[in-house]
Amino acid sequence: MPRTEVRRDLKSAATSHKGDRIFNRSITTAAFTALVVLAGIAIFLGFSAIEALRTQGLDFLFTTEWSVEQEDPKAGIWGMLYGSVLLSVIGLVIAIPASLLLSVFIVFLAPRRLAKVMTNVIDLMAAIPSVILGLWAFYLLNPPAEEWQFLLNKYLGWIPIFQNESGNFNGTPFIAGFVLAIMMIPIITSVSREVLGRTPPDLINAAEALGCSLWTMLRYVALPYGRGGIVGGIMLGLGRALGETIAIFFVLKLIFETNWYNIIESGGGSVATLIVATFGEVSGPYELNLLLAAGFFLFVGTLIVNVIANLIVQRTGRMQR
Amino acid sequence: MTQVLDRERIAEWSTQEPQRPWTKKPVHLQVWIALAALLPAVVVALMFTYTDLPGPVLMVVVYLPLQLVASGFAALATKGRQGVADSVIIVNAIGATLFSFIILFSVLGSLIVRGFEALWGEDGFRSSFLVQNNVYINPSTPLEYGGLGHAVLGTLIIVAIASLIAVPIGIATAIYITEVRGRAVPYVRFFVQAMSGVPSIVAGLFILTVLIVSGAIGQSAFAGGLAYAILMLPTVARTAEEVLRLIPEDLRTGALALGSTRARVVLRVVIPAAKTGIITAIILGVARVIGETAPLLLTSLKSDQTVLNPFSDPIAALPTYIFDNVALPYPGAVTRAWGAALVLMVIVLILFTIARILGRDRLNKSR
Repeated sequence: MPRTEVRRDLKSAATSHKGDRIFNRSITTAAFTALVVLAGIAIFLGFSAIEALRTQGLDFLFTTEWSVEQEDPKAGIWGMLYGSVLLSVIGLVIAIPASLLLSVFIVFLAPRRLAKVMTNVIDLMAAIPSVILGLWAFYLLNPPAEEWQFLLNKYLGWIPIFQNESGNFNGTPFIAGFVLAIMMIPIITSVSREVLGRTPPDLINAAEALGCSLWTMLRYVALPYGRGGIVGGIMLGLGRALGETIAIFFVLKLIFETNWYNIIESGGGSVATLIVATFGEVSGPYELNLLLAAGFFLFVGTLIVNVIANLIVQRTGRMQR
Repeated sequence: MTQVLDRERIAEWSTQEPQRPWTKKPVHLQVWIALAALLPAVVVALMFTYTDLPGPVLMVVVYLPLQLVASGFAALATKGRQGVADSVIIVNAIGATLFSFIILFSVLGSLIVRGFEALWGEDGFRSSFLVQNNVYINPSTPLEYGGLGHAVLGTLIIVAIASLIAVPIGIATAIYITEVRGRAVPYVRFFVQAMSGVPSIVAGLFILTVLIVSGAIGQSAFAGGLAYAILMLPTVARTAEEVLRLIPEDLRTGALALGSTRARVVLRVVIPAAKTGIITAIILGVARVIGETAPLLLTSLKSDQTVLNPFSDPIAALPTYIFDNVALPYPGAVTRAWGAALVLMVIVLILFTIARILGRDRLNKSR
């Protein structure tokens, strides 16, 4: 029986096929959408930032003022930039210990079933839309929190950060930071849970055989092993907190002064919230341009934090989610 | 220092009972443990009844330190000095766990209680609230009239537009990383990760300045969908990438050996094999964006009418509906906001559950 010889050069067959070339090219084009969008944001908002810096000078970054509708408009977002950082720091102070304890509980202490439930509870917390969290914080967290802050001021008022001269405990950086902590806890917990869960069991067994207690095992085995991942998770949470808008809009009283450290004094700042709060009654193209410029600096800040976070997480070899 | 082993001591050791920490503790230690568990609770209960300090403050300022000291002593008695640090961790870890439970149930509970005020009246279940729009409604109109039907529809339209844009591009990005494997893979992954960190308000500003300020399109569902697509793309791309990685290499080489082209391997073999996973990726992407408010405030504004044209008119969506109603100083409007929040949360929960179930199937199959 005569055999028809079919010979294909496998190497060239894979790439020289016309359909393949079209396919490869279109997929490659689509894959660069992310770059195009990032570049687009940087360029378009960057133009506004240059415009703002040209008309306002460096005062735009280093003063705190927003009187745009007068003859000689003045605008400066220092208080907002600083406020964003202050709120995030308050959030981190609450969120870091809470998330670390949660992940230790889930990985090392809880029975398997409870650990599963906890993982779902944490993921569910991450899924709550920020507008709902803001609504909840405004109506359910705010009233009791005002009383907590009153007590904090009454008994610890001699510490500078707990000073409050106005007697108004509404819309303070503390409450906003607390809400940010609730948003950061799921992010930090899910990363550090994964990292701690990947501590080699051999190391844990060895530590226990050497007589380590839970604390010594954590201190000398698990935490050093997962340090990189945990730091990365914290940075991811920080990136989220810096860009958070709506939840803070509900609970923070936005003021155009720099609230340096009085965390239970009414009023503070946040770049993202400034944009939403001002956009509704924007007076004209010039003010809109200033908001776009503020958005640019917010974008740059979160981008830097996120890139560092991802580099750290990647270096510790975590599969990205 | 050398120890001389004499026969007597060896005999003494051999008769010594091994410490078995998992067995029952002797009675005097059980008393210690019971005391450590009860005493702080009793003290706080007394303080709660006889002082006017609020509960959460008592828990943090009085109960937690007391419990720490008490369990520290109990640990010292049962396990020795090493136990003290452990007890501190355990008590705090349980505290943190309770904290997260309380927050979650407080949020969900308040949504259910306050949300049902809008959905459930004297006349029973108000289906009208779910389907009617807000035309002819002012903030003081009774809750029997008007609803969030237009907002639900708007959210569906905006999310559909975002999905139509973000899903193909996201999956293509994942295919580039796992199947095409071009030279730029590390860069593409880097950009996708960087994009996932873009704050939602910045995505809104970007669409606003590029398309709306320049006059290309008006504030509409399409503009909102584009802003959502920016936020959705990285989630879809990353999840799809993880899923495609789970497809065994044998399937690809097998299909290639049978003579298919690379494009066919991807379209006919890899993607069908990863079908459930890709659906999960899409659902996670939708769940990521559906509650985002800030970009819509800039790009699709709001409306009281049912809007079907996605290109011309401002349109309402659930998150912006909540946002606008909270700002109104009328209890009726606030109740509407809670009702909308409940509906939004139920949608998120459904998506979350579907993604979980599909994800579990996927894991079981791959094992």
